[in-house]
Amino acid sequence: MSIELKGINKGFGNFELSGIDLKIDTGDFFVILGPSGAGKTLILEIIAGLIKPDRGMVTGIDTGKIGLIYQDFWLFPHLNVFNNIAYGLKIRKWEKKEMSKTVTEVALKLDITHLLNRKIDHLSGGEKQRVAIARAMAISPEVYLFDEPTSSLDRNLRLKTRKIFMDLHRDTDSTFIHVTHDFEEALSLADRLAILLKGRIVQCGKPDEVFNHPKNKEVADFLGYRNVFGGVVEDHFIQLEKLSIQVPLLKAAFAYIAIRSDDIIISRSRIDSSARNSFCGRVENIFKKSTVVEVVLDIGEMLVVEITRKSSEEMDIKCGENLWATFKVSAIKVFKH
Amino acid sequence: MKFKIIFSFLGVILILFIGIPVIKILFSTDLPKLVETTLEPEVYSSIILTLRASLWATMAALLTGIPLAYLLARKQFKGKKILEGLIDLPVIIPHTAAGIALLEVWGRHSLFSKISGAQIIGTEIAISIGMFFVSVPFLVNAVKSGFKLIDEKYEKTAITLGASKWKAFFSVSLPMVKKSIFSGSIMMWGRGISEFGAVVILAYHPMTASVLIFERFQNFGLKYALPVTVLLILISLVVFVFMRIFEDK
Repeated sequence: MSIELKGINKGFGNFELSGIDLKIDTGDFFVILGPSGAGKTLILEIIAGLIKPDRGMVTGIDTGKIGLIYQDFWLFPHLNVFNNIAYGLKIRKWEKKEMSKTVTEVALKLDITHLLNRKIDHLSGGEKQRVAIARAMAISPEVYLFDEPTSSLDRNLRLKTRKIFMDLHRDTDSTFIHVTHDFEEALSLADRLAILLKGRIVQCGKPDEVFNHPKNKEVADFLGYRNVFGGVVEDHFIQLEKLSIQVPLLKAAFAYIAIRSDDIIISRSRIDSSARNSFCGRVENIFKKSTVVEVVLDIGEMLVVEITRKSSEEMDIKCGENLWATFKVSAIKVFKH
Repeated sequence: MKFKIIFSFLGVILILFIGIPVIKILFSTDLPKLVETTLEPEVYSSIILTLRASLWATMAALLTGIPLAYLLARKQFKGKKILEGLIDLPVIIPHTAAGIALLEVWGRHSLFSKISGAQIIGTEIAISIGMFFVSVPFLVNAVKSGFKLIDEKYEKTAITLGASKWKAFFSVSLPMVKKSIFSGSIMMWGRGISEFGAVVILAYHPMTASVLIFERFQNFGLKYALPVTVLLILISLVVFVFMRIFEDK
């Protein structure tokens, strides 16, 4: 069994979801990854049956058995924590005793039993989120739908929440559909993922597959590939304005190449190696990030190279000095568009 | 510090503007006279009639006004602005004009009368109709603003948890706007109690408090109208201060 979205189209003001085809296997943790404004929430609401698409259909889902968790949680402020979690059970007219038992069980799993009598506006962001998850869990949904549920939390809580999702996924047979703009989150959670850009699914596959082999320039840009250049390819060389780079493609009237910034080696002198591309350039900028350092090298094009903080300290790179950048032909991704 | 002083000063001017006439009138009559007036059947029955007629109007407005307020807050449709203007109209037009317009629809020679055979002019129903017309915008607008502040996602969440559209409305949206409903109702009820222009045209008798005050002033002069005026102000003040306290709880 699987959930399928077939040819979904939906206009929404100036925005349009178009030709959405997705197949999500039962029990999978499926992530839809896209920048804000790509239409992620709209897709979720269509899957949930809250919005009717203009064209196309969703099959394989029972909208009476879903748990949707929005970014801002939308806990009912006029009910306390217990009654928020019990809401779905009350709708299903459960008996008080059973209801109480289920709510307590769920609360125990999420470590919020001490909050059950609290008012919603007395909760912290992290607590609210756990209550929102508990409210969805209480009705044992077949499908969990997450709409950026971690993006309003700080980093620490985000990591904790990810753990909650992983545990929940491991402990249930439910299908998880999770939309986010956070690559790291997508990579750590997804069995499979889809890239949604401007209302279209551009690429779909296993996380590693998608991250290592972006299908086109748009995806490469979105996934944070720093070195994307376009030019004419002749006889295995792409002609850029001031240099030519050897690429894994014989000939093309126009193509883009992308080189991941951590696939490039930098050195003080030219390395004699099997790597076919080696260029000398001036260090234009050095950006220190939390775990890595980005060195911008002018080799005729601005090339961003990512190295570890440790190598950066050992090499003691300074702006203005000349360095060599070396990368393999096989490290270059080529896109026709 | 300067900021606070200037703001307080400006605020005090307004409070005095309202407060002085109220206080002055409250002290314009002595307690025995007030008690005597209260015990006059004509007076107490007119005050009870006023409070009751306005209550009917408010209840009718709750039934029809909440759904309308919800639609105006949530849905976009053609002619919505015109509709919103129409709702505001009773606040703007002279209330005597409102009374005459209502007479055309509910009066002795109106289509309503011909079809139903009922004569409602000069009854408590006519009073309620007049009050309803001129005060319903207060309720609709208050509840509409209430609904506007509540994101649709609350209802959507309720629906994903298994609620029907009706259930989501009654168990989530409605309780969340109860404050707006309450304060809108108070405003409407209060506005209804004070109505004179439309009511006097639709029903001179039975007399509401405002018509009674007018009649006594017109026929017997200021001195005779004062005790009734004081009584009405006193009752309104007590009821509304009490309601405001209750509103926050």
